[in-house]
Amino acid sequence: MRDIYLITMNEIRVTIRNPFWAFSGLFQPIIYLLLFGPLLNGIAGVRGFPGGGSAIQFFAPGLLIMNALFGSGFEGFTLRDKLDSGFLERLRVTPISRLSLALGFILQTSINLVVQSILLLIVALFFGLRFDLLGALVLLVLIVLIGITMASVSYRLGLKIREGGILAGIVNTFVLPAMILSGIMLPINFGPPIIQMAARIDPFYYAVNASRALIAGHVGDPSVLSALAVFLVLSAACLAVFIRGMREAVA
Amino acid sequence: MPGIIHTEKLAKRFPGHKKGEVVDAVRDLDLDVDKGEIFGLLGPNGAGKTTAMRMLCTLLVPTGGKATVAGYDLTTQAPEIRRHIGYVGQKGGMEQVATGRENLLLHAQLYRMSKAEATRRIDALIERLKLSAFADRKTETYSGGQRRIFDLASGVINAPELLFLDEPTTGLDPQSRARVWDEVKALHEQGTSIFLTTHYLEEADALCDRVAIVDLGRMVALGTPAELKKQIAGDILTVSYDTAERAEAAARLLEGNPVMLERHPIENGQQLYVDKGDEALPVILRILGQGGAAPKSVHLSRPSLDDVFLKLTGRSMRDTGEGAH
Repeated sequence: MRDIYLITMNEIRVTIRNPFWAFSGLFQPIIYLLLFGPLLNGIAGVRGFPGGGSAIQFFAPGLLIMNALFGSGFEGFTLRDKLDSGFLERLRVTPISRLSLALGFILQTSINLVVQSILLLIVALFFGLRFDLLGALVLLVLIVLIGITMASVSYRLGLKIREGGILAGIVNTFVLPAMILSGIMLPINFGPPIIQMAARIDPFYYAVNASRALIAGHVGDPSVLSALAVFLVLSAACLAVFIRGMREAVA
Repeated sequence: MPGIIHTEKLAKRFPGHKKGEVVDAVRDLDLDVDKGEIFGLLGPNGAGKTTAMRMLCTLLVPTGGKATVAGYDLTTQAPEIRRHIGYVGQKGGMEQVATGRENLLLHAQLYRMSKAEATRRIDALIERLKLSAFADRKTETYSGGQRRIFDLASGVINAPELLFLDEPTTGLDPQSRARVWDEVKALHEQGTSIFLTTHYLEEADALCDRVAIVDLGRMVALGTPAELKKQIAGDILTVSYDTAERAEAAARLLEGNPVMLERHPIENGQQLYVDKGDEALPVILRILGQGGAAPKSVHLSRPSLDDVFLKLTGRSMRDTGEGAH
């Protein structure tokens, strides 16, 4: 336990000392709020559009999921840096267990994501977002599960793939369709049946629906339960894969 | 007395780039390193030195053979081994945005030291290695030499009985290299066993009690630097030419002449092993001059470990290209 704490604290210190990266992570979602949000204003009132006619109520919940998806999806790069600098190797010859090492990294990512999400919620308040406090808390749990899922996959890929460009390509290939089909940008129910079908196999589709329900205060909505269940399973599976990767001798 | 490292037919095979192809980075390595000695693995890039060391440090799982390190079995007791060894990799491994002191504290705590204990140990190390001037700056601001000494401090943070150094002075300026050598010698005097890899012959010569020369994953020689050099009788006379043709002409002129004990062709020249260099030099120059193959330059030297390597492998260490590590 102490090892996990030591690794987490070290990673948090690194994050704090790199304020540029901490801010740049939030920069993108804010651009979306500023430039993309208003584009939705005209169509948010259309019948069948989620969010009760408000663009921000529709878009901000999706944006929080997007932040989790992208923010954690590219964590593999930080692991790549740790491999290249020899930092990970130095830790691997100390008596720390591979499990503690993996959990330390994951914990740091989760804390980072929670802080970012809270900041994003506060920023969204200024854009007119109204949210339910209990719903937002449950949403943070969902976001952490998404973060663990994505960071585990990304870390595992980072252990395997030496080339940064290839890593980015692989991550983008999966993250981009996952994002579009989740209905973060535009509602899926406006799309053709084939897209609606495809969205059903995108786990993030459930996450976005749950996020909208939670922000609106519908904590008991069936979408919330299914999203939590989906990502509980996914995060556990992906974390196990990552831990196994750390146990094998790597790079 | 059991050694600090013992290996039997230790091997590492990697999958190759093409399907079905394999690369034998280390083959059937038998080593016995005694307590308290400085043992060097010497070889060109790609010889398998680093792979061998990484296996012994528990960073790579061997694909064959067995080994004990610091008295523990490599395959079943890796965590115990980690507690008893120190390791300084080629890349060091300091967190760039943390200070040297913070890095040392993290490493010390991972060795299960309490914070107070770790702080005492770090203060003592910083004092002894004279690191106080930059210990509280971020390591990204360090020079190569400063970083290396800090890497070394991190490597001995747990007062290991066995310290692994992977090419400890590669890329360092001469002063920093001398500094690292001094610290390694000091650790040796305190009784630490040291296992290092190097492709610098001077380094193996200056530091190591015993040297194993490796090439293409195999050990080709083992002994003290003096013993290895003794394998080469007498002195070495190197004659150099502008072209390979003239170098071959020189070889033909000298073929069968008893003054020459042995001959190794090098790029545009020949290395001649002779019994007494100072007496052989005028004789050889006369033969070459009369035969119309007077050399462009002549160099007489005592044998070095590079010459041992050349004799054993037929290649100069400097000629061998970059390879996998």
